[in-house]
Parts: sequence; structure tokens; C-alpha cells
Amino acid sequence: MFKTIKSNFATADVEVKRQDLYKVVIKYDRLSALIDFLYNNYTYKILNAITCTDWIEEGHFALTYLITTEDRSNTFMIQTLVGREDTKVESFSKKFKQAQIMERDLHEMYGIDFIGNDNLKELSLENWVHTPPLRREFDTLEFVNEHLTFREGREDNVDVKAETKRLRALKKAQKEADKKAKEAADASALKENEDGK
Amino acid sequence: MENKHITIFHGPQHPGITGNMSVELDLIGETIQKATTHVGYLHRGFEKLVERRTVIQAFTIVCRICVPEPDPNEANFAAAVEELAGIEISERSKYIRVMVLELSRLAAQFLWLAGQSGSIGLYAVGQWAIADRDLILDLFEELTGARVYHMYIYPGGVRRDLPEGFLERVSKLLSYMKKRLKDYDDIFINNSSFKNRAIGVGIISKEEALANGYVGQVLRGCGIAADVRKDAPYLIYGDLDFEVPTELGGDVYARALVRRAEMDQSVHILEQVVEKMPEGEIMVKMPAHRKFKLPKDDTWVKVESARGEFAYYMAGDGTEKIRRMQVRGPSLVHAYTLLENLLVGAELSDVALIMNSLGICPPEIER
Repeated sequence: MFKTIKSNFATADVEVKRQDLYKVVIKYDRLSALIDFLYNNYTYKILNAITCTDWIEEGHFALTYLITTEDRSNTFMIQTLVGREDTKVESFSKKFKQAQIMERDLHEMYGIDFIGNDNLKELSLENWVHTPPLRREFDTLEFVNEHLTFREGREDNVDVKAETKRLRALKKAQKEADKKAKEAADASALKENEDGK
Repeated sequence: MENKHITIFHGPQHPGITGNMSVELDLIGETIQKATTHVGYLHRGFEKLVERRTVIQAFTIVCRICVPEPDPNEANFAAAVEELAGIEISERSKYIRVMVLELSRLAAQFLWLAGQSGSIGLYAVGQWAIADRDLILDLFEELTGARVYHMYIYPGGVRRDLPEGFLERVSKLLSYMKKRLKDYDDIFINNSSFKNRAIGVGIISKEEALANGYVGQVLRGCGIAADVRKDAPYLIYGDLDFEVPTELGGDVYARALVRRAEMDQSVHILEQVVEKMPEGEIMVKMPAHRKFKLPKDDTWVKVESARGEFAYYMAGDGTEKIRRMQVRGPSLVHAYTLLENLLVGAELSDVALIMNSLGICPPEIER
């Protein structure tokens, strides 16, 4: 099987990652053919997951299709690299029913269009118009600072160093004020004593 | 009087929903015409958070992905990190991990008993189940310092060794469970109130279950002996004697019978683990956590959770941070591909019953 895959589909050898896990990297245009080959000849009929990894510095997404045999004893990781911008790939929702929701999830999180998937509407986000959040350029902290506000009394975005400095200065000022008040009270008591005499 | 077409939301604030999600139901009378799953109520972005933390910092949050059963997350995370970093853990830590995973499975099944019985108003069962689950949580507290989120299955082994006399206390609990579990047969499994509601409801065919990638009791409830512990054994499961219970009905009742039989199997596995627990190290030497880097590589690991196959994809990029971690629990496919179809034609009063039988946990959907 590995030889056929190497000669017909892959750009490199099939990697045996574990006794039950193999990985192959292929060009995108061979993806569908390889999935069909494994499905029809080696009972790789269960689609476990579709994952996406954003390699922003290399300018591509790595899409990985995890397909398992009917007896669930072996899994193939089929990985293909696709561009990051305006990404359109073929949907496998006709072949695997569960691909529908997996592709919808990836569409929301990475902005990938799956051609042939007729339901790519919002999944867990609502009215989202920003960068898809699992893309590497999406900065969570920046987004929070720009779009969200803290409830009064629940601010937890204070600069710890500045806050510590402020509290120390406050404590010092209070201490000095207490000292001055005590000195004034002592002086006043002394004066009253002297006046009494 | 003519039945009108109405739309209602089942959840997110509803005792019959399995977590923070909702199902939009189109009804004519009491019969469901269309079901649409909605999530988005608790998106905490675990997968994004993990990308910004060091490996060990990420370890502290993964258990929070699932409240009823956090330990499979820890086990998968640790296994993926170890595989990428080329770390081989000790035999003793493998046994301890299996002990934790099976105790966790039992605890999760008790929580399911509480939910499933509550969905048809048998509240006494739920009170028993929660009390019995607490006995397991007591052991977890002693072993890990925490009742629910343990942060115990640490990359490289486990975080601390068994306290003195711990195995004796586990044995004592197992003896209690062997007697106690039979009580649940009387009060719940063989109770006609449950049987009348569960038999013939929420039927899934074997062909459909296989073709659509369903897992856990959904598969086993229609006669397919699927279990990661047998199909692709990990840790020490290959050396243990246990069965994969199956039923043929494909309905809510078949799935309940499978779960109940699995509780017996967990007790049986735990007895073997207690008996065979080897001496030795619990943790291999690990690099300082701030200098711990994963190579540029990826892997896919999976365990059998109480609700079915539970997997992680993890990719390293040569830095201290994880490039990508994807959680694949049973819920994404079960809550959409399965539930939306299964509810069509069902009665409104059966929604909670069917949902509970599928093992849906929304945080797994909104990782």
C-alpha cells in the first residue's frame, strides 16, 4: 500500500508514526483521489477529523484529514498544504456526512471555503465580522482591548507595577498624614496642659 | 382542535439540556419536525489560548474542557506531548494513569445516571448517583488535591505518587461498588418507568452509525464493539482483561444497558490495576518547563472516554509553544450530524432523554 501511495499520490514516503498511525503529505490536487483509494481498497471509511494548522510565516495552511479503518485499528493522517488567502477547497460532506460540521467549524475559525458544503453558516460565533479567530494574525489580547470593556469594579487590566507604586505612595502619604495629625494632637495636648497649669 | 406549528428553544437554561447549548425545535403538536443545534454560549477559546502558552502552562487548562470527565483531556495532552518530544514514561505511571482514567469513567457514568434518570423524573436515582460519585471524588481529592479538575496526568508521568494505603482504599470502594451497582439495576435499569420511556426511542441503525463516524455507546448500542482500549490499545490496556459490552437495540435503552455494563467492566479493570500496580518511578526527568520545546512535527492521539473516542491533534513548531492543538470529542458530530436527525419525528418529552443518551458535552464543540 505504501509503495502505491508513494508512486501515485505522495511527494514523500509514508511516515509510520506509530503502529496504528501513518502520515502522508500530498499535493492538494491528489487529495480526493487518495481518500478514494484508501476508502475503496483498504476500508479507511471513517473520517475522524479535519484539522487546520496555520503556518503564517510559510504562507500556508496545513489541512490534515484523519481517516480510520472500519475496525478502527489504523489511522491515516493525510496532510495537504493550501494557501492562506481566499482559500477554497473541495468539500467532503457528500462522502462523509460528518465532514459537514467539521468544515463549517474550520470555515468559521480560519475563513476557508469548502466548495460543495451547503451549510457554512455561523457555528459558535455570532455576527462575527473580524478576522477568523484561529488564524495566527488574530490577536486575542488586542481584540479584547479594542472591543470589550470591563464592568465597573471588575477591572483586571491594571498595570501591576504602576498599581503597586500608586498604592505604596498612598500608604506613605497616609502614614505621613497620620504622623502629622499625631504631632498636632500631641502639641495641642501639651498646650492645654501648660494652659491648665 | 388543529395543532399549530410552533418553534421553541430547548435550552440553554433548561434542566434537560446537557450543558450550555440549545436545540431549536419546530413542532406540530408534540412532534418535532425539525431540530437545529445552537452552541456559542460558552466559547472560551481553549485551542487559541494553548497557542500562546508554554507547554506546561497549556497543560493547566486542558482539563477544563470537560467538567463531567476532565481526565481524558489530560491523558491525551500528555500523550501527545510525550510522543512529539520522544518521552517514554514509566510502567508505574502507566498503571496510575489507567487507574485515574477508569475512576474518572466511573464518576462520569454516575453523572450520566443522574442526568438520564432526571430526564424522566426519577430523581432518587440521581441523588444516589451523585452521592456515589462523591466517593470517587474523595479518592481524587486525596490523590491529586482536587475533586474535579485534577491536573494530575502530567507530561512525563503523573504529578505525585499514591498516598500510603491508597490502593487499599480503592479496593474498599470497588467492593462497595460491586454491591451498589446492582441497586441501580433495580431502581433504574429494570424499572418499568425507564424501560417504557427508553425502549424504541432514539433508534440509530448500525449502518448509519458506522458511516457517520459516531462513537462510544452510540456504536456499541447497535452491536458494534468499538472501543479504543481494544482497537488501538494505549498505556497498559493491552495487558488487561476486559470486555466491550454491546447491545443490538440501537435505542436509548440499549445505550443505557451498555453504559451500565461498562461500569462493571471499569470495576473489573480497576481490580486488576490495584493487584498488578508495579513499584518504580512516577515521573521521568523533564526539561525545565520554560526551556521545553516541541519539535516541528505533529501527531494524533486518542483514548476511550466515558462517552466514546476522544482524540487530540497536536503540532509543535520547534518553540516552547504548541503551534496547534485540536480537540475531537464525540460531541461535535453527535450534537449536529446525529442529534439534528435523530430528533425529527421524536416527541418533545423525549428530547432530554435522547440527548442524555448521546454523551454530548458542549465545551468540546466550542473548544
